[in-house]
Amino acid sequence: MASGIAGGGVGYVVASYVITWVVLGAMLVRTVGSVRRARAEYDQAAKGEFRT
Amino acid sequence: MAFNDDVRRIRAIVWKDLTTERRSKAGFNSVASLGVTILVLFGLALGPDGKALHDAAAGALWLAILFAGVLAFNRSYQVELDGGALEALLLYPGARWAIFAGKLIANLIFVTLMLVIVVAVGIVLFSVDIPATWPLIVFIMMLGVVGIVSLGTFYAAMSSRSRAREVLLPLLLYPMLIPVLLAAMSATKALLFGDVMNEAGAWMQMLVIFDVIFLVATFLAFEYVIEV
Amino acid sequence: MSPAPSGQFGPPKPAPNWLGWLAFLFFIFVQVYSVLTSPADAMMGHLQKNMYVHVPAAWVTFGAFGVVLVASLYFLWKDDERADLLAASAAEVGSLFCGLTLVLGMLWGRPTWGVWWSWDARLTSTLVLFLIFVGYLSLRSFVEDPHRRGQWSAAVGILGAINVPIVWMSVQWWRTLHQIQSSPRGLAPEYLRGLMLNLAAFTLLTIWFIWRRYEAARYERAAEHAAQAAALGGYNG
Repeated sequence: MASGIAGGGVGYVVASYVITWVVLGAMLVRTVGSVRRARAEYDQAAKGEFRT
Repeated sequence: MAFNDDVRRIRAIVWKDLTTERRSKAGFNSVASLGVTILVLFGLALGPDGKALHDAAAGALWLAILFAGVLAFNRSYQVELDGGALEALLLYPGARWAIFAGKLIANLIFVTLMLVIVVAVGIVLFSVDIPATWPLIVFIMMLGVVGIVSLGTFYAAMSSRSRAREVLLPLLLYPMLIPVLLAAMSATKALLFGDVMNEAGAWMQMLVIFDVIFLVATFLAFEYVIEV
Repeated sequence: MSPAPSGQFGPPKPAPNWLGWLAFLFFIFVQVYSVLTSPADAMMGHLQKNMYVHVPAAWVTFGAFGVVLVASLYFLWKDDERADLLAASAAEVGSLFCGLTLVLGMLWGRPTWGVWWSWDARLTSTLVLFLIFVGYLSLRSFVEDPHRRGQWSAAVGILGAINVPIVWMSVQWWRTLHQIQSSPRGLAPEYLRGLMLNLAAFTLLTIWFIWRRYEAARYERAAEHAAQAAALGGYNG
């Protein structure tokens, strides 16, 4: 019983780690991108303020 | 003195909402018909087998009340918004919670009337044997309706004034109602089946506790929700 | 956090870069370390290793929701818009980890219990928490006025936080009456170190995510304020 679970279980473990890493990686990209975009938007707006 | 004023305000709002509903019976009639239609659909989904229908009666009844009731909650603010009356209502002197209490009581009466029709049809369609403990079932239904209406009136104050109100209200409301519905369904079901495990009383106590918690929470939070 | 004067605020203080590097490098190290060092469990075999991703994800989910609750209360108390932006950032990150927790839980439940899902108190209340997060975030996307959005989402967040333990309690009761209950097992000490390290790594990552999302939200609002100031004549001191 135990060996049966262990034998069939490796696929589930690999899937869990792959999903975790992909999700966190995607979140990393999204977060860094959003900060960069928002920052550029702010700099633009601030410059606009100084021009007038 | 001040409390008496609040009571008068609440009564005025209840009266106003109910008069609006009474003058245009279309609202109540369509919501009640929707409740009955949902029961028919549940009957079709659960199959012609009498036993299956009988077992699922409590759940189907509560869900029909919930689905039809949700329409009433958005309506109770929608009518105000269409006439631009909500701003005027907010400008009147007096505590904001009185507005919430008024809407809550009007919705309670509205949903209770609808419940009478839906339950009567449900008893026939789902071949429910009315047990001797039926006064308790009535009591549980009232407790469940208080829970549903207090949260529904509260969330509709937000959803009715946002974009996408049709989808937003159920999305916010249904997860919040899970404890109330679970307790109400379980208590009703237990009583319909003779309460062999003696669990209806415990569920009823939980229902009372949930109602108190949610009533207090919605009354406290309404001030912030209606403010702007 | 001190209340901003007249609801206006400038750009945020950026999260330090080293925190991001530290969080991710520590995370990678801890994940590899705990997978390599933990022996196969007598009962569950290698499935035990799911614990190093599932449990920390659940842990930070509830941590993030705690941040939403506290920030929402603070916002209603002090009317500081920055607290609202913090609550929104924590809700976004929390919903991500909540979804991850649910999926990882299914990937653990299927081989051990034989089912993807079981209606027990912990699973059901986590799912309800996820639904409340989703409702919270959609409410925010459907309301434009920042002050109204802040007050409404704070109310939804606080009521949601009250609701989750109540769901847990009611489902627990529902299950107990139906005589099905899973008994939790104690944790062997050789797995404890890996679990603790992963909890720390996930917490660090969550703090960094929330901080950066908050930073982005602050920049967006500061940009709107700057644009407003420019439209009003460019000298809004």
